[in-house]
Amino acid sequence: MGTIRRVASIVGAVGLAASSLAPSAQAQQPVTLRVAIVQQVDSLNPFLATYQASTEVGRLMYDYLTAYDAKDQRPVEALAKSWEKSADNLTWTFTVPDGKKWSDDQPITAGDVAFTYNLMMTDKEAATANGSFVAGFESVTAPDDRTVVIKTRAPQASMLALDVPIVPEHVWKGVGKIADYKNDTPPVVGSGPFVLSEYRANEFIKLKANKNYWRGAPKYDELHFVYYKTVDAAVQALDRGELDLVNRMGPAQFDSLKGKSGITLNKAQGRRFNELVLNSGAATRTGEPIGDGHPALKDVRVRRAVAKAIDQDAIIARVNGGYAERGTGPIPPVFPDFHLTPETVRPFDPAAANTELDQAGYPRGADGTRVGPDGTPLRFRLIGHTSRAYDEQAGEYVKGSLADVGIAVDVQLVADTLLDEYGVAGKFDLIFSGWGTNPDPDFILSLHTCDARPASPTATGTTDSFFCDATYDELYRQQGAELDPAKRSELVKRMQQRFYDEVPAIILGHDNALEAYRNDTFASFTIQPDPGGVIMAQNGVWGYYGAVPVAASTGSSGPKGLLVAGAVVVVLLVGGGVWLLARRRGATAGDRE
Amino acid sequence: MTSIVWQRRRAAVGSTWRDFTRDRGGLIGLVVLGAVVVLALLAPLVTDPAALDVTKAAGERWQPPSGEYWFGTDHTGRSVLLLTWWGSRISLLVGLTATVLSVMIGTLVGITAAHFGGWPSAGLMWVTSFFLVLPSLVLAIALSSVLPRGIWTIVLAIAVTSWASTARLVRAQTLSVEARPYIERARVLGGGHAHVIGRHVLPAVLPLVFVNTTLTVANAIVAEATLSFLGLGDPAAVSWGSMLRAANLHGAVSQRAWWFLLPPGLGVVVVVLTFTLVGRALETVLNPRLRGDR
Amino acid sequence: MTAPPLAESSPRRGGGVLRHVAGKLGGALAGLAGVVVLGFFLFRLIPGDPTVTMTRGRQVDEAQIAELRALHGYDRPIVEQFGQYVGGLLHGDMGTSLFYRRTVAELIAERVWPTLLLVGTSTLIAVTLGLWLGIRGAWRRDSPFDRASTGVALVGWAMPAFWLGMLLSMATGNLFPSGGMRFSNTPPDFWSQALDVAHHMVLPCLTLIAVVYAQYQLVMRSSLLEEMNADYLTTARAKGLRDDQVRRRHAVPNALLPTVTLVFLHIGLVVTGAITVETVFSWPGLGLLTYEALAGPDLPLLQGTFVVLAGSVIVMNVLADLLYQVLDPRVRAS
Repeated sequence: MGTIRRVASIVGAVGLAASSLAPSAQAQQPVTLRVAIVQQVDSLNPFLATYQASTEVGRLMYDYLTAYDAKDQRPVEALAKSWEKSADNLTWTFTVPDGKKWSDDQPITAGDVAFTYNLMMTDKEAATANGSFVAGFESVTAPDDRTVVIKTRAPQASMLALDVPIVPEHVWKGVGKIADYKNDTPPVVGSGPFVLSEYRANEFIKLKANKNYWRGAPKYDELHFVYYKTVDAAVQALDRGELDLVNRMGPAQFDSLKGKSGITLNKAQGRRFNELVLNSGAATRTGEPIGDGHPALKDVRVRRAVAKAIDQDAIIARVNGGYAERGTGPIPPVFPDFHLTPETVRPFDPAAANTELDQAGYPRGADGTRVGPDGTPLRFRLIGHTSRAYDEQAGEYVKGSLADVGIAVDVQLVADTLLDEYGVAGKFDLIFSGWGTNPDPDFILSLHTCDARPASPTATGTTDSFFCDATYDELYRQQGAELDPAKRSELVKRMQQRFYDEVPAIILGHDNALEAYRNDTFASFTIQPDPGGVIMAQNGVWGYYGAVPVAASTGSSGPKGLLVAGAVVVVLLVGGGVWLLARRRGATAGDRE
Repeated sequence: MTSIVWQRRRAAVGSTWRDFTRDRGGLIGLVVLGAVVVLALLAPLVTDPAALDVTKAAGERWQPPSGEYWFGTDHTGRSVLLLTWWGSRISLLVGLTATVLSVMIGTLVGITAAHFGGWPSAGLMWVTSFFLVLPSLVLAIALSSVLPRGIWTIVLAIAVTSWASTARLVRAQTLSVEARPYIERARVLGGGHAHVIGRHVLPAVLPLVFVNTTLTVANAIVAEATLSFLGLGDPAAVSWGSMLRAANLHGAVSQRAWWFLLPPGLGVVVVVLTFTLVGRALETVLNPRLRGDR
Repeated sequence: MTAPPLAESSPRRGGGVLRHVAGKLGGALAGLAGVVVLGFFLFRLIPGDPTVTMTRGRQVDEAQIAELRALHGYDRPIVEQFGQYVGGLLHGDMGTSLFYRRTVAELIAERVWPTLLLVGTSTLIAVTLGLWLGIRGAWRRDSPFDRASTGVALVGWAMPAFWLGMLLSMATGNLFPSGGMRFSNTPPDFWSQALDVAHHMVLPCLTLIAVVYAQYQLVMRSSLLEEMNADYLTTARAKGLRDDQVRRRHAVPNALLPTVTLVFLHIGLVVTGAITVETVFSWPGLGLLTYEALAGPDLPLLQGTFVVLAGSVIVMNVLADLLYQVLDPRVRAS
């Protein structure tokens, strides 16, 4: 009996300890927004961070020179309040107003801005992540504390879209080798709405509100980015109240949260698209052919027939679960100024595709597979990522659709490294690709210009499709120099029409951004653009900054979790005690035998 | 061989079978296993593989079990029953071929190491013990991430990482067989290596190898499921492991889609369990040391 | 992948102790060397040029690619690369991960403790449970308890760990966290943190225990059965000792030996089980790191985790051997 009493007293003590812990923990809970982060963060050093998740966190810590409006993404004040450009479009003058302060109370000056840009222009390592923004700069100077003067070598359209975090000179001038500076130990002096408070690689990034933020401090105390290895795990955590905000959900996960109490869903227009690239003739910049693409795909009639034969609506309905918009050109509908609505939408029409292929001189062979004029059967390799579920499923649809028009497809899912190698070297017929887009269309359009192709067979280019078309390139040049928004929009649409007609790639769909948050902890978030926009992965920090906690919000699960943990410990102890007793009883029984 | 030898062997097999049938677990295992194998073989005759094509999937996505879909549907609207049924083919195929390959390597290495001796034997034993301690899944992961994706890669990865225990077992058995006087007699009478191994060592070692095989299959099937789950399997082939991967990837847990998780996992458990039961029963019958114990 | 639950492993007996130990250590060193060599050449086979991955999406000319190759040493002869790799390993340098852009050594060091915690705790519980069930089963052989517990153990052993993990996660609903090791908003004091980690560890631990305890139980059971037929037990009984005394003082300690050795021998198998369990529960350990490295594949990282996991298992095996040496009077005497 002594044993029982001893076990009972231990259990009691532990139970008391657990229950006494819980309320005290609750009393001091700050109001926290907990956000799932599924992607990697490569660095918190703003000069090195290139991954989307890293730049998103970096943005919360460091403001840029200008920002994008939450409603319509037009350039608005960030560190600079106003700006003007010279008549020749080569000199830009930005004004950094008085009164903005770093998180350590030092004033933010034009000198900090000039220091940051100059560092990137002189130190190769500092140019790792954002060097392209300053590549065209002639000089950056700060004649006084309030004025930044940037001279560019040629007119640059992206001067109000310089996505470069500005760092405090008084901290960073003491940093020796930029590449070795991790910038992950608080205090990290910043200018954004939040400052870093704790970083645990692969577990979480904790930020706390910056009381000095020039727009005013956020309406809650802490912002935690918590790592989840899969979106599915994050969705379960949201469902259980361990998280407040999740994005990048798959259709199934999004649907599974429908109708759950305490959860608000946000289906937003996304900036990402999936595409099927057709090898229309991979070559270097000098026109030297590379790779081993199928000759029939050089024929635009074949490419058009392929586009007609693929049932894009079925892919959107089945693979995207309906959460995507039909693609036309690369620029998604979320940017209406540049999104293309074609004059005549290409229908899904296998019968027409069959006829056109017959007429173009690709008759069906004995086994039903078409044969080209040179005798090669139309058998295409389709390369996709093993790591992406989309490629696996959409690949089956492409294969099935093209089989109906007499084109055989061999789907090869390969590791990302190998896919990159195939893509860069032009060793594919069809390949899955996808991009995120920015408000400024220049970059995404540049991916299909002749100059984006590699300089030589062994070099790497930025080209997405190896597309090289004089008409497209001429339009690209014109839109780059066009400063009137309406005319530029027209040019950009004409480029995409050309892209649509020449089919170097088929834009399969613009994914919706699927997000969800707990409405029992946070009442509302600022979306961008409004309406139809996203909370996370914005061109800015409005979603996190504008989050409004539910008044008297105590609904965080920490204490509840602790109680359950306490209960588990108690159960284990009781179980252990019972087991010990049973053993002793057993032993006595054995003795009697 | 003379007919007397054959008669004796047949009698031995008969008595083994009688001993085996006395083990209820083993017998149940054998019956269930037979049923699973027959079902797997019948799949193409009874069902239409076209329904496995995601583009032709007829059902709603994530549909719970119903009269039409007994095991519900998956993330693309395919019947989970059909997937599990067809998945059994790949799982069994990979499990069995990998085992045959593994046991072949193991037997070869084991007999060679024991029979010939000298430094080649020492070298082989070192390699064997190296593979024995190496965590097999880690090596299998490394191998299958290096080779192109496909069923045969998995087969190879499992076989290459699992032969060592067979080799050690066979070596020990060969050594004890070769120490027996009649082997000595055979040698004196002019029997070469081929004669000794083929006529005397192999027949004595084979029962043990057979037991080992059934137990290795169980491992190989779990290994296949694990590798496929980690995304190293053939993306085009439906196996139990790849189904579980899809379930994990597409959110079966958050959907609470138990009907997508249970069938493939239970498939693995049932097959592994039956192989283990049969193996243990065979072991009791064929391993004299344990038999005396029983 | 687990080995069949059969006891047939016991280190060679006889020979001088020192010679035996030296031989074992030599063998382990050779084994480690084998792992290092395998780790290097195996991962060279991976198709795909790592420099292409690093430069994807950037306009890079030949000179820059050559420079990058030179920086990572990919342009030098394979033998020289191997030399550099071995030299680096000796200094604890395993290269830089392609995707994390951090050193592999740093990443692995970060993940070792969670894995040790998970694997250590589950092994401890699984061994205790396995031994206890094994002893009881052997003592009451063929009793309903023996049959039932053997059956349950076999079923547990037949289950893929990741599947059981997913089922448990689904079945327990909101009782336990869905994954990870701690909540970000737990108070920083020791007790809150410890409770939080314990809370997160329940499901992964249970899963791992369920799939590994069977081997300990079955081995303990069969080696105890073997011991019970041994001559000295008959002698002991003849001396007039009661059955339970015979059991506790003689049979169990002797039967424990092979099982305890097995604990160490099977650490490798538990570690591989941890790979899938960590994946399912997002437990931030080495297993999950391996899984993440597979996605790229992130060659240097995969190589690093391979060398560390395989190397540590080899070290564990030597420990098992030495432990056997210390514990087994028969080996010690000879």
